[in-house]
Amino acid sequence: MLTIVLQQGINGIVFGSLYVLVALGLTLIYGVLVQINFAHADIVTIGAFAAYFFTFLFGGNYLVSIGIALMVGAALGWLVNATIFAPLRERGSELLPLIATIGVSILLQNAMLLWFGPIPYAFDSPYSNEVIRLGGGTFITWQNLIIIGVSAVTIALLYAFMKFTMMGKALRAVAQDRETAGLMGINPNQLIMLTFVIASALAGMGGAMLGPILVLTPFAGTSVIVKAFAIVIIGGFGNVEGTIIAGLAVGLVESFATQLVNPGLTDLIVFTLLLLMLAFRPTGLIAEKREENV
Amino acid sequence: MSSGGGLALADQSSNRRWWLLVAAVVIATLPLVFQDSYWRTNLIVCAINIMLAIGLDFILGYAGQLNLGHSAFYGIGAYASTLLIMKLGVPFWMAFVCAVVLSGAAGMALSIFAVRLRGHYLAIASLGFAVIVHQVLLNWISLTQGPLGIYAIKPPPDIALPGLPVISFGNTANMFYLVAAFAFLFYLLLDQLVRSPIGETLTAIREDEVSAASFGINCTAWKVFAFGVGSAIAGAAGAFYASFVGTLVPDAFIITESFTILAMVIVGGMGTLIGPVWGAILLTVLPELLRGFGDLRLVLYGAALTLVVLFMPGGLVQAVQILRARFGLLRAAGDAGMRR
Amino acid sequence: MTAPDRVAAAAQARPATAAAFFCSEGLHKRFGGVQAVRDISLNIPHGSVFAIIGPNGAGKSTLLNLMSGLYQPDAGRMVFDGVDLVGVPAHKRVRLGLARTFQKIRLFKQLSVLGNVIAAFHVHHDIPAWQYVVHGAAFARDHARCRAEAINLLRFVGLEARASVLAASLAYGEQRMLELARALATSPRLLMLDEPAAGLNAAEVERLLERIRLLRERGMTIIVVEHNMDLVMKVADRVLVMDYGQYLFEGSPAEAQANPAVIAAYLGA
Repeated sequence: MLTIVLQQGINGIVFGSLYVLVALGLTLIYGVLVQINFAHADIVTIGAFAAYFFTFLFGGNYLVSIGIALMVGAALGWLVNATIFAPLRERGSELLPLIATIGVSILLQNAMLLWFGPIPYAFDSPYSNEVIRLGGGTFITWQNLIIIGVSAVTIALLYAFMKFTMMGKALRAVAQDRETAGLMGINPNQLIMLTFVIASALAGMGGAMLGPILVLTPFAGTSVIVKAFAIVIIGGFGNVEGTIIAGLAVGLVESFATQLVNPGLTDLIVFTLLLLMLAFRPTGLIAEKREENV
Repeated sequence: MSSGGGLALADQSSNRRWWLLVAAVVIATLPLVFQDSYWRTNLIVCAINIMLAIGLDFILGYAGQLNLGHSAFYGIGAYASTLLIMKLGVPFWMAFVCAVVLSGAAGMALSIFAVRLRGHYLAIASLGFAVIVHQVLLNWISLTQGPLGIYAIKPPPDIALPGLPVISFGNTANMFYLVAAFAFLFYLLLDQLVRSPIGETLTAIREDEVSAASFGINCTAWKVFAFGVGSAIAGAAGAFYASFVGTLVPDAFIITESFTILAMVIVGGMGTLIGPVWGAILLTVLPELLRGFGDLRLVLYGAALTLVVLFMPGGLVQAVQILRARFGLLRAAGDAGMRR
Repeated sequence: MTAPDRVAAAAQARPATAAAFFCSEGLHKRFGGVQAVRDISLNIPHGSVFAIIGPNGAGKSTLLNLMSGLYQPDAGRMVFDGVDLVGVPAHKRVRLGLARTFQKIRLFKQLSVLGNVIAAFHVHHDIPAWQYVVHGAAFARDHARCRAEAINLLRFVGLEARASVLAASLAYGEQRMLELARALATSPRLLMLDEPAAGLNAAEVERLLERIRLLRERGMTIIVVEHNMDLVMKVADRVLVMDYGQYLFEGSPAEAQANPAVIAAYLGA
């Protein structure tokens, strides 16, 4: 019994870390732009495919492919911001950029479907099958260890960046009050671009590490993104600490739920949680109230 | 908008009536032009999509509520009517009414639930709702037979009027007339509502809820109303879809379907009623014309949606207005922008 | 004298026949760490112009928002013409006869000037439900009546000539007047104006003053939150001065101008 609990706990943390990586991207973008990038999911998928092709087509090292996916993600983030969010910012519409990204998402997913086909790709990283036996009958694959390790390091670095560096502080300033930050000599547009690049790089990385443990199809990202939305809401839009906690929590809940109920229902459970969250605490676990300025 | 502008009310009325007549004639003659079942099927799907699009536009374009879960109401309508007919032996039209009411109620429930949620939160709540509905349809196997689906769904029962030949809905032309007639009626209903003070109320809510409240508008009640009407129409579309296609699987109502309907509204012209009609027609017919290119059609949806938002956010309606202005045919209208 | 004593004394000093049309007692409102409004009590007689003034951040707009129902108070009472307002949402207060304008202009930019005013007739439509779908005679009558009344209102604020123009293309001063017209469309008995003179030039302020006087003559009660002392001096019957969300002074405009505490608050002693 304990074995199962521990094992699911480990799985929970593994998936949770990946959800956090993807969700952090969303929450960072929202924090700074108050916009949701629906195509975020597809950056995850493209990251996964990039890693796959680098590893299997070019015979590259898997660990290096994570770096490649990071750069591909970053490039896509730059592209999406430059072509969609930046031009639409002047129009001041809340709805339009969201809808545009829905369009991009549909476009990317189906373009990938055309190029890669619907049949899942077997993305076996060299680390997927080697196992480390931990005490109590539990085990962890090297892949999972890499996931936890890379995620933890990345999240820690990001957190430190946001808290302690000038640029990180500037980013938080732009998130709080774009106009004032602008008046203080910070270029909000550059910082927004930086945010996009970082967020999408995280997504790409997440994809590269997800590839081996999820089914790799053009829709791989979608399965993760809706959970990422749930996490961002539970943790609070724009709230980095909340997202980390919520991400790990959702990963764990999901793992234990798979054990206890029909696996097809885990999505249902996560989403019901999401709706309950929206009903009672829409601003997230660690809430900040913002009264409307009349 | 009827309340401002250069055209007097009477002028607008006769204009409108003329266009409605033209539409009725076109609907009447379409099945005569397209005699093969492939194109007739497309016409019926078109009519169903029109219903979905105008319903969504009422919620999104008029009341300003970012509803990304419209596929849920479509699915609820389809499954509710089918299950009532096949499991409880309820007659078709009674089941139809029940399905419409149930979808409408679901829409109102979502709206009440989301009443304090603005913008993006509402979008995600509606998305979450659609995912939950889809998951329920997929997993509640004893009720819906899950991914295996429900088969042998019959079309609406024959209508036998005295002195006339029996009208059978297995005949695609008749089915088209039925669905198109309902689409036309729903369009008329929404058009009348929108040109009444209710349209102004919804516009006020969409533009600025605080202002609207300062005029005595109960924003919550009206948002729930808009959601109810829009989702009820989606439910009707679902009932027709099931009885026409004959089989029902949960994957016909995944969230991607919501995005497709959204694309029709946006590409056609959000916030007008005729826009979604054109959007639905375009995005139903065009992919069929490109059928040889397979999955390229969905790529087109995505591309169309993105490009329209970036370069012509008012959709086809805006494009037509620009063209008419260019050719000097646009009469002075006080209410410019996104009005018909 | 303590603040409540002052208010009570002022109330007693008023002629006995002036009944309190709107009164509040001990209103409190806090936002997070800030006590925006603390223990405010008011008595506003019918048919008067009552001004609420004070330096920036004094809580004037918050008080107005409490009165119009945008916020609910944390504590205290509010009674309008005998009806208890606490817990009543903003849209219901409109039916009771309260209307307001906003400090930040909130016009419907996509609509015409006329369309903006007609939208405000929401509570006054006289159409049976079915006629919203099938537009019958009552619908046509209502439509014509609303248009006619809207044009009257536009004439009153001097915008009749701009009726079919898009609201977004009005000049700032005109937009403020349109706001006034919209508020009047609800046929209020108590009109609350939030910084109506903000951004207006001297001529426009004069015109605004004239309108307020005309409305008072017609028996409307008006509450004005203002910075512009000139306007307040010319048109207000009584003035409430707030500072840091609290009561500072209440009395006639002349008395307020001469009061040392008020002067100190404005000069930031």
